[in-house]
Amino acid sequence: MAGGRKSKPAGPAPPSRTLVLDNGASTIKAGFVTDTATDAPRVVPNCIARDRHRKTFVGSELEKCKDFGEIAFRRPVEKGFIVNWEAQKEIWDREFFDDKAPQRCDPSETRLVLAEQSNSLPALQLHCDQMVFEEFGFASYCRGNGPAFNAYNDVQAIFQTPRTPDTTIDIPAEVMLLIDSGYSHTTVTPIVQGRPLHPAIRRLDVGGKLMTNYLTRLLSVRHFDMRNDPYIVNEMKETACYISLDFKGDLEKTWKGTRGQRSQDYLTGAGIAKDYVLPDSHTRFHGVIRDYEPGVSAKARKGAVSTEDILTLRNERFVVPELLFNPSDIGIRQPGLGDLVMQSLSVLPVGLWPGLLANIVVVGGNSLFENFIQRLQTEILERVPDSCIVRVARPEDPVTSTWLGAASFAKHQHVEKLAVTKQEYEENGAGWIVRKFSAGLGVES
Amino acid sequence: MNNFGVVELASAKTTHAPGWAYVPDTRPAPGSAALPSNRKRAARNHAGLSLSDASARQDAKIRKDLEVLDRDTHKDANIAIPPRTGGSRAQNKHTTNVRKILQSQKTFANHLDDYQALVALAETNPAAAAALNPANAQPKPAPPPTARNSPAPQPTPSTTTSKRSAAAAKRAAAAAAKEEKERKEREAREAEEAAEAAAAAEAERKSTAAPDDNNNNSSDNNCPPTAPPDVEMADASSLLPQAYPADGTILAAYAKPPPAPHAGDADPLLVSHVPAFPTDDELHALMTAPPLSYLEARARWGDDEQRYPARAFCEVCGHWGKVRCVKCGARACALDCLEAHREECVTRYGL
Ligand SMILES: [Zn+2]
Ligand SMILES: [Zn+2]
Repeated sequence: MAGGRKSKPAGPAPPSRTLVLDNGASTIKAGFVTDTATDAPRVVPNCIARDRHRKTFVGSELEKCKDFGEIAFRRPVEKGFIVNWEAQKEIWDREFFDDKAPQRCDPSETRLVLAEQSNSLPALQLHCDQMVFEEFGFASYCRGNGPAFNAYNDVQAIFQTPRTPDTTIDIPAEVMLLIDSGYSHTTVTPIVQGRPLHPAIRRLDVGGKLMTNYLTRLLSVRHFDMRNDPYIVNEMKETACYISLDFKGDLEKTWKGTRGQRSQDYLTGAGIAKDYVLPDSHTRFHGVIRDYEPGVSAKARKGAVSTEDILTLRNERFVVPELLFNPSDIGIRQPGLGDLVMQSLSVLPVGLWPGLLANIVVVGGNSLFENFIQRLQTEILERVPDSCIVRVARPEDPVTSTWLGAASFAKHQHVEKLAVTKQEYEENGAGWIVRKFSAGLGVES
Repeated sequence: MNNFGVVELASAKTTHAPGWAYVPDTRPAPGSAALPSNRKRAARNHAGLSLSDASARQDAKIRKDLEVLDRDTHKDANIAIPPRTGGSRAQNKHTTNVRKILQSQKTFANHLDDYQALVALAETNPAAAAALNPANAQPKPAPPPTARNSPAPQPTPSTTTSKRSAAAAKRAAAAAAKEEKERKEREAREAEEAAEAAAAAEAERKSTAAPDDNNNNSSDNNCPPTAPPDVEMADASSLLPQAYPADGTILAAYAKPPPAPHAGDADPLLVSHVPAFPTDDELHALMTAPPLSYLEARARWGDDEQRYPARAFCEVCGHWGKVRCVKCGARACALDCLEAHREECVTRYGL
């Protein structure tokens, strides 16, 4: 490592272009930010996939894949953190650094703002920093708390808070409670002026992956073995599952009844049962959801009506996302999302509660489940004093929200406080950077 | 199927059938097994298997099922990196650090074990941890020897983890001894050192700041989720004017003109109770507090939630699990599903 002079560098001007990455376990959100422009982010599958014809797809190449039957995935991100750099580097190379990369950049002239999940392991953070500087050679770099980046969005706009034209928009937002429910887990993060309140961050190990796996198990017990079709099951989960606002009632309506006495709700479907037509890999590459028609799936299975594979989804539609609120339903010894919020608040001064409870923002793919917002609001209202105002909102696109916040952060003066240059890395070493990023923005007083 | 005109209703009565029994299930959910067993019910159970056997089977099944649900792929997909079709940029030579990182086949669980081992080492043998830790050489006050008398300062790792941790701790200790002699290979070691530096710094933080951490660790369990606000909020009502301290600098005071006076302003029933806003010092401490470790941030059941029995579902159709298979503890909604379960149960556990 060259350049061991101890003098504080006068510092070249920071690069004018920033690559902003929210490097999730399921997808990478990626785009460039300059002083004058913010690109719309691309959403790139963060995986190397192999289909049943043994063809391999890296990252965005997955678009070219038509037949998702029996597709297998290798994912560089595990539990929300980049663990396998061999795979991650391959995906980044092809997306950002190769000559033909769709979002090509020259790292030596670029700053990287990378959103990371809370409570990472120091060794993984170190590996990340070493790769960024020693392998990719970014000129400048900031690894920041992903949930907290959301505070750099216009949060009051998400709540549609009425305001006059002269209202100043607080960037970062003063106080908010961010709930991020993604592929790996669900976290609760109280944020004050863009700083995550670390002692109060709590994680529930229920995420999109677990729910897809759970749906796979239910289908395998009740319909077909779909353990080799994670893509198809995931798609089914996203289109057919919803969060129940009346769990007991819905469960009652989907019960078949006792022997010899099929319940009326079961026979009609009670508005809950849906027929799901599986892709056939020839004419239909995506599943299709239809209103329940009594007997159709049974007939289809016998080949009497058509060649379609149809299965009827009943309580599978809502018991799967129910795991977010009642993880103990499958024996997970963790509190559900309502209690998770209360546990987070319980370590904070009560004076912060009103501000946090009135500004709850939900991001991540799972927040797209129908009724997520209403159910969460109900669960929290059951747990706080009656006088508390509880507002829960979801940004227009909860999947790219963290990226948009990070992009806004990349234009904010705060980025200059946190970013480190390649030269600083070489002079101060990797341990220094891990500590600097852990300390975060700090508070000037 | 002919059911001989029998319609079964879930009832609180215990019904015996050859080899099978309906047992009305009022038992706490599997998992919260700490409760004293109900001797009466145990005596009532004449089947060859005791309820505890059945619940042990059920516990084991839940554990296994959860492991499967946590997996990324059903089958271990060994997908190799495909060759580039051209257009790749010129490959520069990897540094030693990068080569190590790229070759690492460690999983997240491996890394977590390593971290726990290092934290454990820093507690039992600060010298060895410090030796692993040159990047963190700034002197820190040694923790008072009494600080270590709390039995489990770390969030409890699973048994497998602790075994692995012990082994990893040994490895780490050996590495520490070796390290003294191997000062020369500086560059090659840089990666590990810095990682360990961060981990050991974390451990040091814990041992020096033990009281704080204990607060954090126990907060899940000790704070009843809903009780305190009422009390404190009532107390705080007299502090209303200070709700947003005028001298607060971290969060700005409310600067807009107050709303127009209202006839009900003086009505004690209409006064809103606004809790006192935290002081700047409190906010400052929260905003600059270091991150918790991965396991510390994992939410755990508080004492309160543990009291409620978990809901139980039919393993076949997903309806309420009103009855239980005495052989394995699996739940079913009624006779139909219990029979369907029986086939699977016999294959798994024999007759
Ligand atoms: Zn059933
Ligand atoms: Zn059984």
